[in-house]
Amino acid sequence: MTQPFNPPPVAASKVPAAGLAGLASGAVFVLGSLLAVRLWVSGAAERLTTPEAEKPKVAVADQSEVGYCTPQFKQVLERVLHSCGLGGETRRGCQPADVKTFASISDEDFNALFTPLKDRGAVVMFDEGEDKLDEQAKKLLEDKWFARRGARYFFVVARASKTGNQAKNRALSHRRANSVMFHLNEVASDPEIESKVGLLWLGNEFAQLSKDYCSWPNSRGDLKCDEEAINRSAFVSWVDCRL
Amino acid sequence: MPGPKSKLPAILSLVAALLGLLFASNSTLDYAKHLDRRLHDVHCSFIPGAPATSEAEACRVAMYSPYSAFFKERYWGGIPISLFALGAFAFYAAFAVYLLVYGSRAPKRALRFFGVVSVAPLVVSLIMFTISVTRLGTVCKTCVGIYISSILLAVAGVMALLSSAEEAQDEPRAVVGPALPLIWLVALGATALMPALVYASSVPDERPYLTKCGELKVPKIKNDEFVKVTTSRPIQPTLLFEDPLCPTCKAFHERMVAENIIEKLDIDLALFPLDNECNWMLDQALHPGACIVSKAVLCGGVQARAVLEWAYEEQEYLARAGKQGPNVLRAAIKQRWGDVMLKCVDDRKTETRLNNHLHYASDNNIPVSTPQMYLGTRRVCDEDTDLGLRFTLGQLAPEVLK
Repeated sequence: MTQPFNPPPVAASKVPAAGLAGLASGAVFVLGSLLAVRLWVSGAAERLTTPEAEKPKVAVADQSEVGYCTPQFKQVLERVLHSCGLGGETRRGCQPADVKTFASISDEDFNALFTPLKDRGAVVMFDEGEDKLDEQAKKLLEDKWFARRGARYFFVVARASKTGNQAKNRALSHRRANSVMFHLNEVASDPEIESKVGLLWLGNEFAQLSKDYCSWPNSRGDLKCDEEAINRSAFVSWVDCRL
Repeated sequence: MPGPKSKLPAILSLVAALLGLLFASNSTLDYAKHLDRRLHDVHCSFIPGAPATSEAEACRVAMYSPYSAFFKERYWGGIPISLFALGAFAFYAAFAVYLLVYGSRAPKRALRFFGVVSVAPLVVSLIMFTISVTRLGTVCKTCVGIYISSILLAVAGVMALLSSAEEAQDEPRAVVGPALPLIWLVALGATALMPALVYASSVPDERPYLTKCGELKVPKIKNDEFVKVTTSRPIQPTLLFEDPLCPTCKAFHERMVAENIIEKLDIDLALFPLDNECNWMLDQALHPGACIVSKAVLCGGVQARAVLEWAYEEQEYLARAGKQGPNVLRAAIKQRWGDVMLKCVDDRKTETRLNNHLHYASDNNIPVSTPQMYLGTRRVCDEDTDLGLRFTLGQLAPEVLK
């Protein structure tokens, strides 16, 4: 017969101690976890209903707007695009008289507004007394048109030379602006082109260009350029301004 | 092999359980924080207690994946799986304390029970690891922390199991009733469930916020067309703004595929490359080369989805190529899609089309970010395209989930 085993008294005391320790630590771990979950979720719920003090700024997609878009420049742009019948109505463009009325600035100041567009735009040049675009002019015009990027408006400022009478030059300038517009219509296949292009035609009475403008990109870079030649032209450029 | 008096199995169990508790807490905290619909950093480190960081792409992928939570259609973001780990590790930690205090007198039944149930987290970890590798293609460090804890716990459990066969002569093992293991099992189940129940009962109602992220001002693109992404059962008109070199777009696309959502969307795609080569809204390129790859998608025609998915699959390579210059990228496009595609990419008309897409974005003043999703004309908030995707679709387009 075997003798019954008697556990030592010290070991026996571990039985309730272990159970209690397990239960107590279980309570701590579980309740701690539950409390943490509750606090995390309720914290998020509270933040959800509380507007952020410093909400991170999100950039919003828009047309481009660059440094030269001064209020004065925008005023001219807006008048050309809206007051001169563009932007959904019948296109008629702006005549020198209109420009003088709405621009209310000197020739030099008017031309200076366009100076920052030197690299964005180009001067399409014409033969004397002609309004027909040559191949180089067409190519340059297309290059400029298709380099739109974020611009909303395309500006065309046609000019006639200083020689000849005012009426004749005005009519020639008008035809040159139209030549540009017709070619754009052909290549762009854009039904909304009328709302994008702003046409100005200037005769010899306003904002003639000085010889300095010969350094601008033009369709006849290889030929001699003088004050006479640079004014037989149409300046074309996308304008990176928002209105 | 530790002897019957060794406390190693209990100590190792306690360490493993506490480690698991910590990693599961981090993971749950990350999830819960996002219930406020704001941007937050995410814990993503092997180091226990390491702070949250914005460089946590793998952990975000795991968090936004369909495998991170249950009941995603019923609760915004679902009930995170880490909550069950949290409860279970709390139980294991308490049980480890119980065994530790018992020491060499720990009952055989307790050791055997612990040996058996300690393998459960390892089994779940193996399943989640397999999903991570095969479905997500990435392994999140916090998850690895839980996997390691599970391995340690299983090792400790096996040690406990083996030690149950031995007995110290001077300290015989205590005896517990045969019903106790069943009670422990119920307790394990209950503690594993409790955090999830608390979470579910306290999540805020996100429904009022789902429709507050704006609408399209101009529903149709002017003088052009969106890219049609062909799907098998298109029922919900959807507009997406995406950048083929944007990792978030890739993750979003993969999520829509994994969640079996994409096939029920009638998708128009507007390309919005975050590359200043064509996108004037950026000062510098976030994804160099994205303009060229976007043109390839435009040139895809009826294959546009295939081109887009190719760009996503090869995104890392294409992103590297984009940084090396346009010609490297062109060569990659030519190699995969041929000369005709490359000619189309270089065509002026394609450039104009891409410009039209960008102007469409500016006409609508959308946020400069990708991806963006519109159900009809209603913008789905960014947070609802990741954590809250299924819930949001359940609310705004329930037919997509049927």
